[in-house]
Amino acid sequence: MADLVNLTIDDVAVSVPKGTLVIEAAKQAGVLVPHYCYHPGLPVAGVCRMCLVEVEKAPKLQIACATQVTEGMVVRTRSGQAKSGRTGVLELLLINHPLDCPICDQAGECELQDFTFQEGRPSTRYSPTYPKRFNPVEDFGPDVLYVPNRCILCTRCVRFMEDVAKEPVLNVSERGDRAFVGIHPDAQLDHPWSGNVVDLCPVGSLLSKDFLHKARAWELDKTASVCTGCSQGCNVTLDLRDDTVVRIRPRANLDVNQYFICDHGRGHYRWMNRGDRVEAPLVRDGADLRAVDWDEALDRVRTLLKGAGGSAVALVSPKTSTEGLYFARKALARFNWSGAFQVVMGEEAPLAGVPNLALRAERAPNGKGAELLGYTRDYAAALKAAEKAAVVLVIDDPEAQIKTSGQVIYLGTAAPASLNAAIVLPMALMVEEDGTYVNRDGRVQRYFQGRGTPAMARPAWWVLGQLADVAPDSASAAFDVMAADVEAFRGMSYATLGLAGQRTGAGAGVPA
Amino acid sequence: MSAAHAAEAEPYQPVFVGKTLDRLNEIIARYPAKQGALLPALWLVQEARGWISDDAMAEVATVLDTTAAHVKGVVTFYTMYHQHPVGKNFVQVCTTSCCNICGAEDVVKALLEETGAKELGATSPDGKWTVIEVECLGACGFPTPILVNDDFIENVTPEKVPELVRKYR
Amino acid sequence: MGYPQKPHPKETVVLSEYFGDPEARTFKGWVKRGGYEALKKALAMDPNAVTEEVKNSGLRGRGGAGFPTGLKWTFMPKEKKGPHYLCVNADESEPGTFKDREIMRWTPHALLEGTAIAAHAIRAEVAYIYIRGEFTEPWTVMTQALAEANAAKVFGNITIYLHRGAGAYICGEETALMNSIEGKRGNPRIKPPFPAVAGVFGKPTTINNVETLAAVPHIIKRGSAWYKGLCLSSPKSTGTKLFSVCGHIQKPGNVEVTMGFPLKDVIYEMCGGMRPGRTLKACIPGGSSVPILTKEETEKCLLDYEGVAEAGSLLGSGGVIVFDDSADMVYQIMRLARFYAHESCAQCTQCREGTAWTTKIMERILAGKGQMKDLDLLLDLSENMTGKTICVLSDSCATPVISGIRKFRSEFEDYITGKKRPVMVA
Repeated sequence: MADLVNLTIDDVAVSVPKGTLVIEAAKQAGVLVPHYCYHPGLPVAGVCRMCLVEVEKAPKLQIACATQVTEGMVVRTRSGQAKSGRTGVLELLLINHPLDCPICDQAGECELQDFTFQEGRPSTRYSPTYPKRFNPVEDFGPDVLYVPNRCILCTRCVRFMEDVAKEPVLNVSERGDRAFVGIHPDAQLDHPWSGNVVDLCPVGSLLSKDFLHKARAWELDKTASVCTGCSQGCNVTLDLRDDTVVRIRPRANLDVNQYFICDHGRGHYRWMNRGDRVEAPLVRDGADLRAVDWDEALDRVRTLLKGAGGSAVALVSPKTSTEGLYFARKALARFNWSGAFQVVMGEEAPLAGVPNLALRAERAPNGKGAELLGYTRDYAAALKAAEKAAVVLVIDDPEAQIKTSGQVIYLGTAAPASLNAAIVLPMALMVEEDGTYVNRDGRVQRYFQGRGTPAMARPAWWVLGQLADVAPDSASAAFDVMAADVEAFRGMSYATLGLAGQRTGAGAGVPA
Repeated sequence: MSAAHAAEAEPYQPVFVGKTLDRLNEIIARYPAKQGALLPALWLVQEARGWISDDAMAEVATVLDTTAAHVKGVVTFYTMYHQHPVGKNFVQVCTTSCCNICGAEDVVKALLEETGAKELGATSPDGKWTVIEVECLGACGFPTPILVNDDFIENVTPEKVPELVRKYR
Repeated sequence: MGYPQKPHPKETVVLSEYFGDPEARTFKGWVKRGGYEALKKALAMDPNAVTEEVKNSGLRGRGGAGFPTGLKWTFMPKEKKGPHYLCVNADESEPGTFKDREIMRWTPHALLEGTAIAAHAIRAEVAYIYIRGEFTEPWTVMTQALAEANAAKVFGNITIYLHRGAGAYICGEETALMNSIEGKRGNPRIKPPFPAVAGVFGKPTTINNVETLAAVPHIIKRGSAWYKGLCLSSPKSTGTKLFSVCGHIQKPGNVEVTMGFPLKDVIYEMCGGMRPGRTLKACIPGGSSVPILTKEETEKCLLDYEGVAEAGSLLGSGGVIVFDDSADMVYQIMRLARFYAHESCAQCTQCREGTAWTTKIMERILAGKGQMKDLDLLLDLSENMTGKTICVLSDSCATPVISGIRKFRSEFEDYITGKKRPVMVA
């Protein structure tokens, strides 16, 4: 246990570890000190001077972001002096900031808007006859635009590229009120993690081209989720506008991705919006597939499974929920079972400044979960086994090319391209269900439902759970069944996983 | 578009070769980190080329194991580095308070007129003169001090300007 | 009296003894004048004893802050775990100040000797002398002097390098100067860590001003008691100090006087007083960053840290800017504001935006378009720019504005009411 320091912030007593910054200690007291340059994932710069607070016995206002707590410290963030210091900063930040909120992507999630609303002056004293600083919009890289007029020079983007990405392509150019964030004419902001500068920017100065003018911040519904781009399992927030995923942003998790996600993950959402979904269960009558209701479809599955013997093979997508994979295996339990998943490989792209954080070569969010449940990576062997299997269950792999003398059951989001399946079952996409993934380090993490399923599609755990003796009635219940059965998940539940997840084995007494 | 790109017909010739590279290496040895030699390296570039182009910044970055963006941030911070070509005689006139009350603005006027540069920061049609106002040159007791390239000249008055300009023409 | 004037009988000539004497620039000439004896003596002493001697002398930093020099040296780690550095601040850029320039031009070896003694005291093996880029002549003289001294191997195992700035006032701020030596933008750093813990290249560093170090050999040679005895008023201010006198004055130049000397004598006697027919209106006694004094305040002011503070200003760097009754205070304060706006490093909001805004308001007043409420706005803005930023550049811009409006308000009002014709175009 670290040494604790006791202090009061706005009359609230808190105890925090030695070395804590006042701005972080304030969060524990329930106080958000307004700030711009400070970001917990970046080195302290102390330049915006926004987080001015009064510290008893200090001769002048202190910045909460660069002041460490001391024993018995008395901090006042709402005193007249502190507030007037911050109001002064806001007025100065606004003298050169265009009031173009109606056309700015950041409006609604802009820290300059928020804090001005909270404690800014009702009007400026800057003469309207003075021109505001103007510099043309710059194209920084594949996905980033820089609007210098809106820039408040907090330097978060510069510090991210320098200290976190370790590829310092951005700089502060010029000085005084002529300063702006610059880039060498031959350089590009194309580092695989560079999109983070858009999230880090507290105002609408750095914009994502992908998201440009797509939605207003207040139109978005936010869902806590896990990135499906690779096996790192970065925590993300999915932003949906009218059930369409329009943006992915990082969600802080200090044990996995800190505050960042890579550009691959950031852009990995279009598949969630695909239009060619299977919308009803289909069963084969001769050459044709016929739409049926779930009762009939599930009866057909039960009959098929009951009538078959010998071996069964499951070929699954590593984007399938752990719960779905568990019940798939359970459904095939009485067969001589084998299961495999196929992993698309890509280039690994580490974020140099953060240990154990990279876009992983394995572009599979739940490969580890599949492995814990007995699925293997030996897809070729599984394909071979499928040839002689009595039953082949394919989960969400529409491109699968399978030769088999047995019967094929297909459960997926999109219709299979070339499978001669006996039964096709419509499945929910991850954004349409609650579920869990296990990342490469064995961390079990929940993702949440962000929209309804199209037509009759159902989560994999529900579909396959119907084949079990006792069908679970929720994702949480499905997880509980699995946790009771599989050692790796023992002791875990949706409640214990929470928003940050848990390492496998944690419930069994192994420290996280 | 930078001047470097406009002149892309001529490929960039590196500054740090031969004796200039030797000089730089001798300077690098003075600092525990290579980047310490950045300001001196930029001086060497300006000495050789008269100004510091984007290509030259990229070269300096390579030689000193840093990035072109960092170099550019530094170049734009220090007012004595030229980001554009300037006249053969680059004149800096102090116009901060102490010199100001002693008539520095009249010296500026006389210089702009006499050199033909006409406007602050512009280069005279013959390419020989660029005149700029600068803040305190640190010779307030000798108003008005001016720098013509590296020559520091004290006590300049409007009357002395024609003779001075003749000397450098 | 410093070059180009002849010494005045009332001066106490220590640092400026050889100003204007070309032979003193050479190594041989310096040795002939007793140079490098102090260094020899210091190198034979324990570093702590050198520090103690300087501490006892009462010498305070001559760059502007007036921090006790010997005490500063004691902040360096007692146990040496890696390299220590000495940085010499020769980035003299404070408007009104030109003393370090003369020290380097005429007595380069005085600075080199003081630098080596200080490096020995703080156990630094390397010293960087950071000379502002515009100082081409001092650069040449120092380069020559360093080459001669190196050839004579006088520095023991201490190495001295010269580092040339490139046009940035802010590099006179100690941590900005260190960033500049490291090949970065001259941005002041947040403290802590202080330089004695993590300075240049992240190593323990002490930084001293040129004039401070030039005084050190004299202290070592003649003893701290002698130096301490040079005191006319407050015992907290000892030794001699160079005052750069400029502006509306008959004989501008450097004057070296004992601490506590009356400012009025410097202006009226030693520097020849006002131009014919003119009278004193105001004076900035310590470089442009300190409050302006009125005629009455100036004439009562004693030149030491405490005396100038009592008069309502600060000793600062000792740059004395004199304004006679012809001076347009509004225009001159605008020029100062423009100076700070030009030099702001752009880090802190109050400074980056505030200095530029202040300049715009001042320009508008001078264009005859000001309003009375602009004066309140200027004062409020200046208050907002004071004591809230990493370094004091922002405060320095606010200071002349605040003191200017307080003491010369009618001049501002004359532009606003139209009593005075506009001198600028908005």
